[in-house]
Amino acid sequence: MEEPSYPTLDLSRRIGVQWPNIEAARTFSRETLDILKCALADSDSDDTSVVVLGSLGREEFTSGSDIDWNLLVDGIADPNHHALFLDAQKKIKEVATKSVGREGTFDAFVSSHDLIHRIGGEDDTNRNLTRRLLLLLESTPIGRSIAHERVVKNILKRYLLEDLSFWRGTTVHSHHIPHFLLNDKARFWRTMTVDFAYKLRMRSGQGWAIRNIKLRMSRKLLYISGLVACFRCHLIFPEEGRESVFGDEDLRLEVVNVVDAIFSDKPLDIIATFGIEHAHLYGTFSQLFGAYDEFLGILRDEERRKHLETLAEGSGDHDPLYREARAMSHRFRDAILEMLFDDQSELGLLTRLYGVV
Amino acid sequence: MQPLGFSTGALALSDFRRALRMLQDQPVSVVELSAIREHELIPLLRSLDDLDLSQFKYVSIHAPSSFSQANELSIFRELYESRDRGWPVIVHPDTLHDFSLWRELGDLLCIENMDKRKPGGRTIRELELLFDEFPDASFCFDIGHARQVDTSMTEAYLMLKRFSSRLRQLHISEVNTLNKHDRLSFVSILDFQEVAHLIPSSTPVIIESVVAEDQIGAEICRVQRALHAPMEQVEAS
Repeated sequence: MEEPSYPTLDLSRRIGVQWPNIEAARTFSRETLDILKCALADSDSDDTSVVVLGSLGREEFTSGSDIDWNLLVDGIADPNHHALFLDAQKKIKEVATKSVGREGTFDAFVSSHDLIHRIGGEDDTNRNLTRRLLLLLESTPIGRSIAHERVVKNILKRYLLEDLSFWRGTTVHSHHIPHFLLNDKARFWRTMTVDFAYKLRMRSGQGWAIRNIKLRMSRKLLYISGLVACFRCHLIFPEEGRESVFGDEDLRLEVVNVVDAIFSDKPLDIIATFGIEHAHLYGTFSQLFGAYDEFLGILRDEERRKHLETLAEGSGDHDPLYREARAMSHRFRDAILEMLFDDQSELGLLTRLYGVV
Repeated sequence: MQPLGFSTGALALSDFRRALRMLQDQPVSVVELSAIREHELIPLLRSLDDLDLSQFKYVSIHAPSSFSQANELSIFRELYESRDRGWPVIVHPDTLHDFSLWRELGDLLCIENMDKRKPGGRTIRELELLFDEFPDASFCFDIGHARQVDTSMTEAYLMLKRFSSRLRQLHISEVNTLNKHDRLSFVSILDFQEVAHLIPSSTPVIIESVVAEDQIGAEICRVQRALHAPMEQVEAS
C-alpha cells in the first residue's frame, strides 16, 4: 500500500510529533471520498461536478460529520440536471450519516454564473458569498473535475485580473497582495462570526457549544489558511524576478495558475507548507496543529461530541469539556498570532500591513 | 502577417473542390484539406495531383475523425503514401489504436487537442501522456476546443507554453454548446486575445468556423482581431 504523503504529515515528521486525529480524519476522508466516487460514477460530466465542502472537502471528516455538497453546473442549461441532482442526492444520503444544515447553502443545485459574476454588490447574497468562498477554500470534486476546475479558475481570474494593485505592487513595499480576494475572505470570516449569533437566535441556543468551538477552530482555520494563501501569492515568487513576473501582462494567466495551485491545497496543508519552510517556527506549529488535533479528537469521539452538541446555552463556564475545548481554542489562537506576527519571516510585516486594517 | 486560411470541410463539407474555388479570390495563403469523414479520404488523396494549390504556402490534411480499428491500417497506408509532400496529417488522438503505425509519420503526425466530449487529449495532462507515446509528433492547437474545456483560458495558456516547440498549426473557431464550429463571437474573441501573444506570427492559422461564402471575409477579419488586436478595439458584432 502506498505511504500517504501530504504537507501536514510532512511537517509532523520534520517536527518529530504525531497528530493522530488529523491523520485518522484524513484517512477516513479519503476512504469516504472513494466510496462517493464509486457511488456517483455515472453522475459526472464535463459540464457538472458534484462538489463536497465542509469537513469532507477539507479532508477532516469524522464519523459524526455530515456531508456538505453541491451540484455545480457550468454549461448548457438542461432540464435533466434536476434529475441528476436528485440522483446524486439519493446516493450521497446513503453514504452520509447526518443531514446537512438548514440554510439551504448545501445539498443544492448551484449555477456557476452567480458565483463568477456576482462578487460584491446587492446581488451577492450571504448564500452566494458562502458558496463561492467555500468553493475556493475547501472544495473537493467527486469524479471528473473539469467543470469544478474551470469555475474555480474563472472566479480566481475575476479576483486577480480586476485587482490592479496585485499586478502593480503596493506603492511603498512592492507587495503583490490580492486585496480583492483577501478582503472577500475577510468579509466571509466576519459573516461566519455574525451568522453564529444569528443561528444562535434562530435555534434558541440549540447546539451553541459545538458551533462555538467550530467557529474558534475549523472556521478560523479557513480564514487563516486563506490569509496565508493570499500572502503566499506574493511570497511564492522569488524576490529577484518577482517584478518581471508581475509586470509582464503576458504572464498573467501563468500567475492565475500558480494561485490556483496554492488554493487547491487543503487548509491545514496550506499552513503546513508555510511551516515546512520556517523551521524557527516549529514550536509554534507544534502548538497550532496540536490544538487542531485535539479538536478533531473531540469530534471523532461520539460521546464528547454529543455532549457539546447538547450542552445547554449559558452552562459552558461550569462544564469541564467545554472549558477544556475553550482552552484548546486559546492555544490554537495564540499559535496563529505567533505565526502571523512572526518577524523573522515576512509574514509579520504582511499581517500588519494587510491583515489588520 | 499571420498566414491564414480555411479548412475545406468548414466551407463545403465533403466537397473540397468547391471549397478551394471559394478560396481562390480570398487573401488566404494556407489550407487544410479535410477528410473528416472516412469516405472522403480516398477521393481526396486520389485528387491531390490534379488540384491547383499554388496559392498556398502551407497545406495540411485532416485525417478522418472516426474510423474502425479494422480500417486503421488501410487509412494509415493511404496517408503515409502522401508523406513525401511534407504535409502534416492532423489526427484526433482517440482514433489512433496501433501507435507503432502512426509513429512512422514522425513529426508529420500532428495531434490535435480535443473538445470536451472526447475521452482524452483535452487537457495538458492528457496531452502530455499522448506526446509521451508520440515523442516526434507535432501539435495542432485547437483554440476553440481549449476554450470549451476551460473558459478561463489557463489550460490554453499552459498548452501553448508547454508544447510551443511542437506547435505546427492552429485551428480556430468558436466551439458552441452543441460542439459545432461556429463563427467567432465577441466573447470568444476576447478570450482568444488572452493567449494570442503565445502564438508565433509564422504559425499557420486554419479557420474551422462554418460560414457561408459571403461571410469568409468577415470571419477572416474576426480571426485577425482575435489574434492581434488589443481588447479595447474589439467591437460587439
